[in-house]
Amino acid sequence: MIDTDSLIDRLAQEGARPRHARRGFALPLLAAIAVCVVGVTAALDGAFDPVALHGVMPLTIKWWFSASLALLSASALWLLGQPGRKTRVALWSMMIPFVFVGGLLLMELAKVGPVLNGPTWRTCLLAMAIMSPIGFAGAILATRYLAPTDLRRAGGIAGLFGGAVAMTVYSPYCPERGALFLTVFYCLPILAMAGLGWLLGPRLLRW
Amino acid sequence: MTAARDGDSAAYRQFLAEAAQRIRARLARKIGADNELEDLVQECLIALHEKRHTLDPGRPVSPWMYAIANYKLIDHWRKRGRSIIDLDDDADMAVAADTLAETDIETLLDKLPEAQAQAIRMTQIEGLTNREAGDRVGVGVSAMKLRVHRGMARLRAIAEEDRI
Repeated sequence: MIDTDSLIDRLAQEGARPRHARRGFALPLLAAIAVCVVGVTAALDGAFDPVALHGVMPLTIKWWFSASLALLSASALWLLGQPGRKTRVALWSMMIPFVFVGGLLLMELAKVGPVLNGPTWRTCLLAMAIMSPIGFAGAILATRYLAPTDLRRAGGIAGLFGGAVAMTVYSPYCPERGALFLTVFYCLPILAMAGLGWLLGPRLLRW
Repeated sequence: MTAARDGDSAAYRQFLAEAAQRIRARLARKIGADNELEDLVQECLIALHEKRHTLDPGRPVSPWMYAIANYKLIDHWRKRGRSIIDLDDDADMAVAADTLAETDIETLLDKLPEAQAQAIRMTQIEGLTNREAGDRVGVGVSAMKLRVHRGMARLRAIAEEDRI
């Protein structure tokens, strides 16, 4: 290895002008979302048909959960990718969408009991299984552009982002209502993707 | 760092030199001043340079710099933990023949942890293969090799100490 002074000279010659962190981080995330949107538009018909059937509320609830989770997880990844930043608030804030769904689930269970209606659950699971890894891959690429130092945590949050993107993109096609359905066929796959991300994080994010 | 970001390479050089000093001092407390220290300092400097876009201009440099240094230190320990130990059975056997020939082997083995002593008894005295010895005590071949290797290394050290 060369001596440290020579290395410093060489690095100094390259200059300190930094690359665009925000752009480099955002592009893979947006690309993953775009791929999911194009893919689901090509594969499925009837976007927003469920709104005509059941009104805007079921989709609003799903989007409130998934879009807020996607935004919160992207924010947390942004902070986790910058060494030395405090991340505790960002990480805890990701509980908010899940607490929201938990509250809905408790209200539904108290009112009608555990009824799991949803004939389209296979399509829902398939959509989540196909699109979550795409969103996850985008989040991994985005995070690799930065400098994450807690690789498991960053991997898990990339998984949450992947799942949240998949749900956001598929929701306009989903005619199902009910908090139990939302919990079983959306929240659990999202958490599964987060678990996978947690396991894969150290392998995929090392730099 | 602000001047460096504006294209002042002399200021950037000064920043990197100061960073190297501080990181060296921090890491020396954790891994000692051995040969690996300078390699690790250089790795940290390259990381600071390549990831400089993750430092927001308004933020203090130290937490960012030390977080990167800490990450590289942990990565260094991880790599060392996984480094392949030279499990050379022939070399171990040769040491036993040369170094321990005139020594009471059982007295020496008593100074080892029981698992290592047992591994050496089985493989070097009874003549079992690593697989047979591993099967007997319910561990894998690699674990058995490791026990033998560590035990032999310890025996070698003890024998040399006694000779001195």
